[in-house]
Amino acid sequence: MRRDEAKSLLDGAIAAAGGEEVEIILGGGTAALTRFANNEITQNVAERRYVLSVRIVQGKRTGRATGNDLSRAGIKRLIDQASAATRLQPEIADLLPLPGKQEHREIDALDPGTETLGPEARASEVGHAVGRCRKAGLAGAGIYEVRSGTIGDYGEISPLAIANSRGLFAYHAGTSAAFRVSALDGAASGWAGHESHRAQDIDGDALSGLAVEKALRSRDPKSWEPGRYTVVLEPAAVADLIQDMAWISFGALLVQEGRSFLSGKIGEKVMGENITLRDDPFHPLHRGAPFDAEGMPTVPTTIIDHGVAKSAVYDRQTAAKEGRESTGHGLPVPNTYGPLARHLVLEGSQGSVADLIGRVDRGLLVTRVWYTNVVDPKSVTLTGMTRDGLFAIEKGKVTHGVRNFRFNQSVIQMLRDVEAMSAAVRSGGVVCPGILAHGFQMSSATQF
Amino acid sequence: MKDLARLALDTAAARGAHYADSRAVEVTREDIQVKNGEVGGLDLSESAGLGVRVLVGGAWGFAATDDLTKDGVERCAAQAVAIGRASASLTHENVRLAPEPAHHSVYASKFAVDPFKVPLERKLDLLFRIDAEMRTVKGVRNAESSLTFQRRRQFFLSTEGSDIEQTITRSGGGFASTAVSDDDVQRRSFPQAEGFHQSLGYEFIESIPFVENARRIAEESVALLTAAQCPAGEHDIILEGSQLALQIHESVGHPTELDRVLGMEANYAGTSFLTLEKQGKLGFGSKIVNLVADATLPDGLATFGFDDDGVQAQRWHIVKDGLFVGYLTSRELAHRVGDGRSRGCVRSDGWHHIPMIRMVNLSLMPGSGSLEDLLQDSDKALLMETNRSWSIDQLRYNFQFKTELAWEIRKGKRVRLLKNPTYQGITTQFWNSCDFICGPEEWKPWGVTNCGKGQPGQVGEMTHGAAPARFRKVQVGAGYED
Repeated sequence: MRRDEAKSLLDGAIAAAGGEEVEIILGGGTAALTRFANNEITQNVAERRYVLSVRIVQGKRTGRATGNDLSRAGIKRLIDQASAATRLQPEIADLLPLPGKQEHREIDALDPGTETLGPEARASEVGHAVGRCRKAGLAGAGIYEVRSGTIGDYGEISPLAIANSRGLFAYHAGTSAAFRVSALDGAASGWAGHESHRAQDIDGDALSGLAVEKALRSRDPKSWEPGRYTVVLEPAAVADLIQDMAWISFGALLVQEGRSFLSGKIGEKVMGENITLRDDPFHPLHRGAPFDAEGMPTVPTTIIDHGVAKSAVYDRQTAAKEGRESTGHGLPVPNTYGPLARHLVLEGSQGSVADLIGRVDRGLLVTRVWYTNVVDPKSVTLTGMTRDGLFAIEKGKVTHGVRNFRFNQSVIQMLRDVEAMSAAVRSGGVVCPGILAHGFQMSSATQF
Repeated sequence: MKDLARLALDTAAARGAHYADSRAVEVTREDIQVKNGEVGGLDLSESAGLGVRVLVGGAWGFAATDDLTKDGVERCAAQAVAIGRASASLTHENVRLAPEPAHHSVYASKFAVDPFKVPLERKLDLLFRIDAEMRTVKGVRNAESSLTFQRRRQFFLSTEGSDIEQTITRSGGGFASTAVSDDDVQRRSFPQAEGFHQSLGYEFIESIPFVENARRIAEESVALLTAAQCPAGEHDIILEGSQLALQIHESVGHPTELDRVLGMEANYAGTSFLTLEKQGKLGFGSKIVNLVADATLPDGLATFGFDDDGVQAQRWHIVKDGLFVGYLTSRELAHRVGDGRSRGCVRSDGWHHIPMIRMVNLSLMPGSGSLEDLLQDSDKALLMETNRSWSIDQLRYNFQFKTELAWEIRKGKRVRLLKNPTYQGITTQFWNSCDFICGPEEWKPWGVTNCGKGQPGQVGEMTHGAAPARFRKVQVGAGYED
């Protein structure tokens, strides 16, 4: 939905609220995904979906109603439901009034060619990828996905536009394209992926080539003993670990409640000097929404500066508790989670993952990790599995496949033990480099 | 809505689909949270839309829309056909659907008290009473409680003549207490992590002793901060039912999904070690282990009249007397295991997503004896309660779980509270080490409401019934060993 149409819809909803203090969030768009496995297309889908969420504020009370009937009658029903729910609620002592008009920086994130990319073009790109797998005698599996708007990986919807009765209006349209491919030879597998706001940046054939190369190298893996290893983590693996850390650590509410490793540590050195971690929707590889679910402008925020804990990310409520300004990282109000860092950037260095491998005398190359989960929140100890290409590095070269490991590793400790990094790329919604780290704990082996 | 579903079918057929089904779905939800004495969230939501699935040239196409005008529905059906044609350009074999009679049926889950007719004030009152009770305990940092209600009404029509209306109502809730220190965060939940849900009405909420347990749970969360660390090493462990439910989900349910076994989830959720030649041959567990898939289980979260393939709900063994015998199948894939009929395991999480194989309710059948009998039978063991984290490899061999607490058992007695218990194992070794399963009096239908699978990702819900059980010589302590 374009800006003018969204503004007209939200203005109409505010008018329909008849003078109530009201906030309207519109989210959604279109998404299409071609899925393949065993070198053929197995699922092929498209959806169009918009959601409107109405929040009424009456003094210290607030209530929300959400629906996808965008007709005049549908919007009126949501207003009535939200209003009724608001009246029934007890007061929230520290509920803030709606913010007024805000200035938002524009981000160029909409690529018309991606928005209109059809199933034939996706099938053609997939055809190149599976052709490469078939030629190598491997089974190719993966996706080619294009989206326009704010439908997330699991169907969740974030704000496309937000307006309120105090004159605030914010809108951000963007596209995204992602191609991910696995090449399999029984339990041996390789993986590669790329994501961008432009479909023209996708090269399924080249990605498939990388996955095939990894799968062939993964054949006949050797068993190594569990223990602490020097590792080269490719960006996909780093992204997964950093994202998990962000969810349980970087929001100001987590810090204020003492549940984050940053609690009481702002200003202290917590990681290595080579670690700088930011949240920045304006990074050219992110091009994310420049506002949050309260309509506040998102301010690029340095969380870790050369190893020193600098700041959490804030919404209006957590900022008010500390007498400071929101950094524009709020979720829909009210919520129990607090603000969230959504556009992570771990600053990298120069060079490639191959350069990192060249520095290792004996260690492991990790393509990506899988099924990570939090073991211990304060030390940010995560468990998970290596996946789709775990290799031995010996005297600066990749020598053979290794059977996959389960790891139990503190991400904070890992970021204290980083020797070197590659240039940053975007992977899994995070901008980050590959890293060379020491003492990474592989705690048990699996059967493949 | 039904007329729109019919229009979608007619449009798809006119444009060349040789099979089509359409699902017109309306979902209504209430999500209410209270945190530390205040409303933490209250959202009343509704969603309506239509999804059309077609076979064209032997290949699948799917499109979904919330534009429920005549033009919008016709455009959606035409898009599904166009997508199917693109799929057909890159497929090896035509999709073959296992036969299923055309069903004309109306199905509705049962409830005594319609949760959407219970006043909001009554629901908030319950949550505030739970909240207040937790916050009487010194040291509680966060008291959080929630209730969720959902009604899903779906019309399923197919070009084979099926015409099925289903309405499923579910209710659930739970609470958690969090305590923190400088270097630790401990949490206790009730009745299970992420809340307890069933396909029932508000009477289900009223049957759960929330308020009566709030203070105990809060006290346990605070006590865990100073409890001893669970010792690492090889231990006999006893899993309480809700933790065992997640163990069933991850290590039995997912590896028996036939689409995973055949490589269709390889890029995301993974494949499975339960390859086809193992059916009827692999000793999955000890002789006392019986696992039954059951879409007819009373009040389960995956209990229905018909799945989203239009197949009637069924009940069958996955593991019988320890032997691996069955898969979770669809009309598309049943023939790959020699079955003439689908087991009826295809579901979608909404109108906007394509149906795919999802776990139905999958339960460990009870043995005999009470939990007290099991403890009396245990000279030295760890009793682990309530899930806190979970992880398993993409072939479903190597798993690791953490529970909220453990009790050290000595000569049948709980002698010491332990924090941070983790256990790790390999699926078949673990299930073969099971030597005691408690009886029907301890068996409960625990729910899972956050099961992720598929691309685009879908969130599935299902029930796993379980009674506490004992597993011998399990590795304990990963993540806290040094």
